[in-house]
Amino acid sequence: MYSQEIESLLKSKKIKIGDKVLVTKGKLEHAGIIMPRIEMGDISSFVIKLSNGYNIGIKHDRDTNIRRLETAWRLSQKKNPDVKKLVFDKALPSISIIGTGGTIASKIDYRSGGVYASFSAEDIANQIPQLKTVANIKAEQIMEIMSEDMSPEIWIEIAHKVAKEIESGFDGIVITHGTDTLHYTAAALSFMLRDLPVPVALVGAQRSSDRGSGDAVLNVFCAANFAANSSIAEVCTVMHAGMDDNFCYAIRGTKSRKLHTSRRDAFQPVNDTPLARIDSEGGIEILNTNYRLRGDKKVKVDDKLETKVALIKIYPGMDPSIIDYYIEKGYKGLVIEATGLGHIPTLNEKYSLLPKFEKAMHLGIPVVITSQCIHGRVHPTIYHNLRKLFTRGVIFAEDMLSEVAYIKLMFALAKFKDMHQIKEFMLTNIAGEITERTLSKDFVVK
Amino acid sequence: MTQKLDYKKLRLKGGLEIHQQLDTSRKLFCNCSTGMKEKTPIFTTQRKLHPVQSELGLTDAAAQFEYLRDRVFHYQAFSNETCLVELDEEPIHPLNSEALQIALQIALLLNCEIPNEIHIMRKNLIDGSAISGFQRTAIVGLNGHISYKGHRILITQVTLEEDAAAIVAEENGRVTYRLNRLGVPLVEIDTGILEGYSPQELQEIAYHIGIMARSTGKTKHGIGSIRQDVNISIRNGPRTEVKGVQELGLLSKIVEFEVQRQMKEKPKEETRAANLDGTTRFLRPLPGANRMYPETDIVPIIITKEHVENLKKNLPEPWTNKLERFKTKLRLPDGLAREILGSEYLNLFEKIVSTKKVEPTVVASTFTSIIKDLVRREKVEIDRISEHRLVEIFDYLQDKKIVKESVPEIVKYLATYPQNGVGDALKELDLNPLTIADVREIAKEIVSQPNMAFEKAYGIVMSKVRGKIDAQEVMKIVKSVMK
Repeated sequence: MYSQEIESLLKSKKIKIGDKVLVTKGKLEHAGIIMPRIEMGDISSFVIKLSNGYNIGIKHDRDTNIRRLETAWRLSQKKNPDVKKLVFDKALPSISIIGTGGTIASKIDYRSGGVYASFSAEDIANQIPQLKTVANIKAEQIMEIMSEDMSPEIWIEIAHKVAKEIESGFDGIVITHGTDTLHYTAAALSFMLRDLPVPVALVGAQRSSDRGSGDAVLNVFCAANFAANSSIAEVCTVMHAGMDDNFCYAIRGTKSRKLHTSRRDAFQPVNDTPLARIDSEGGIEILNTNYRLRGDKKVKVDDKLETKVALIKIYPGMDPSIIDYYIEKGYKGLVIEATGLGHIPTLNEKYSLLPKFEKAMHLGIPVVITSQCIHGRVHPTIYHNLRKLFTRGVIFAEDMLSEVAYIKLMFALAKFKDMHQIKEFMLTNIAGEITERTLSKDFVVK
Repeated sequence: MTQKLDYKKLRLKGGLEIHQQLDTSRKLFCNCSTGMKEKTPIFTTQRKLHPVQSELGLTDAAAQFEYLRDRVFHYQAFSNETCLVELDEEPIHPLNSEALQIALQIALLLNCEIPNEIHIMRKNLIDGSAISGFQRTAIVGLNGHISYKGHRILITQVTLEEDAAAIVAEENGRVTYRLNRLGVPLVEIDTGILEGYSPQELQEIAYHIGIMARSTGKTKHGIGSIRQDVNISIRNGPRTEVKGVQELGLLSKIVEFEVQRQMKEKPKEETRAANLDGTTRFLRPLPGANRMYPETDIVPIIITKEHVENLKKNLPEPWTNKLERFKTKLRLPDGLAREILGSEYLNLFEKIVSTKKVEPTVVASTFTSIIKDLVRREKVEIDRISEHRLVEIFDYLQDKKIVKESVPEIVKYLATYPQNGVGDALKELDLNPLTIADVREIAKEIVSQPNMAFEKAYGIVMSKVRGKIDAQEVMKIVKSVMK
């Protein structure tokens, strides 16, 4: 947005964004297209696109004059129709691509200068010509939600949409999603979609799609191929396996985590082996045979969630009264991201969390322990102070990721009131979130 | 030999784009070193590029063309010279302010107007040389000029950009680039259409623009640090752009060849690459304005009036003036003056000629031909010699404790024994100057031998006294003794 003064000046001169103008300043003249103004920088400067494509900012002051020459272009408001089916070859499987927003479907936002979600899922499909070699596609954008704005209500909406698409006969589902919380949605869908008969791939992009080097092309191609042609009827994230644009990993939805802020291989499996490797030429190689096969069961959506669950990180110097806040606010369950094997401060009265946890459990609020180490398994009985808590019902969540335990506890609380039942549910593997063995090869530090 | 052509009659039009790397310690958008010294990659990553839309929703023809070639790009990473930014795995950091200052200085030296706000753009380059698929570039100056032979040469714009990755190999659709050059600050200076100049004059104009950039003293030296692109058309025909002329001396030849090619073939609007022999090869169609869109990861930079005024007050002496001064005041021949301007010892040269009574041509040739010869022919490690040792040589010359002929031997000695001084060199190499009387004695003895013609006698005497007395003096002595 330009300053009030410039906005009214443009209005009075009937100059619209996209018009070719002549800006004069003293003896100097600049002809070019007046561009939308990003909010950062000097909002009292005109942004002019010169004929060679460069933009410059020209400060509006007493010596500056602007004159309209002609209409050059208009900001396109046109949107593609939201739903479209593309049948390339009747012999190919058909998949449904569901767009939810995020960087994978992004354009430049001239107001903020940032990148925002705007391409329809169909645009993405059109951007990736190789898609036609692996599947017929239906593309539909159901929402435009940035990853960080996702919520349990939206997970439920997505789950129902996925189920509907599966019921209407698609051979696989691709969900495009922002990357920040992609693994939360993946975990939520893993628990919600029961008796899943087909693959469901969650896919995002770490680079915006407006650049030639975007990772979306490979990611979406691999996700589509995985959804259409793999035998793995599980919810998976499908993203770059490494920094090369040559193959992606399909990682189980409950075992995938964003482990890097910006790299294209940010999603890596935690305490699990990737289920498959999908390469840029279309090959699918199974890497982990422990998965659910495609079938013909009818998918059910388990959408009962108790959302009054908190995920709390333990740190040195933490004030234990923080726990009182959650209790007072009526929280029904707590996931504690503890240190190391599952430790919390217990030594002195000022910092000990033991009394708070006892209080919570006394009130029927389950306390689930995971580790902030991310990799590895928590252990309930090594640390003697915790043995007492363990016997009182604190739940040590094995090798479950904190984010996954947070979502699983929502399901547990919606199903059960009894602490023992909750504990049993939390410690029973439902969607691959708990493995029996921790394998050495599953800890890869790049 | 190329035939002589009447370029005026052919209506030769040239446009120059001079690219000069800046000598900042860090890259334009990250904190990696700009050294470009590392030879062994720590790993290679492989990428694909895809066609994209520009800000105006138009896909660029050049970009499409490259895409159709379906190539796989391999990028070599280096330990100190690459981070996740060059690998396109991390958003860029804020613009290097040192590079911006130098670029603004260059723009002002070229009499440019500075935009009130600098907008960094992404210029789509899908030949793979920018791993992100675009090169970041921003206008820092507009509508400048320099004068050449009394003519006003228009400088249309000065841009600050990130240098692209350098190509290592290309075979069967597999293209390999080194990432260490990617992101090195680069200033591009574009001229308006130059009409009525010969290829040789275009080369001279390129030289003058180049030394204006170097006036800041903050530009890189050596092969590839300055590169010229030249746009050529004749008889109002289509324009071709020849990219990557690394040797300025080749520029006029390239223009001559390209004019001849355009006369023979029917030229098309296209981008061509310069070959080492001065001929060119087709690269891709000419890119258009559609390939530009804003860099949205960082915000526009406001340049205040005060900032510009302050820079103007502190501008360095333009090297075009310096070149004149070297030629008139210091009486350096044109070639030597240019050589010392292009030398990394320029500052030291100026310091020495302003403080010591030594002939400037002697100082200049020491820092150019003598040192270059020693490095090239005798692999002398010149960097081992500290600056004060080099200065010491000229103290000895000033005090006539050595003759200029002994300089190469002394430099060689100092590079071998960096702890020692010039005095040690004199002792160890036996280079204490001889008096005229000493040399006369030697000459007499030689001349007295049978069958001794002047040439032969002079040669023998020189071999005995080389580096201990001026050669001119020896000639005089031998002549007088022979009379």
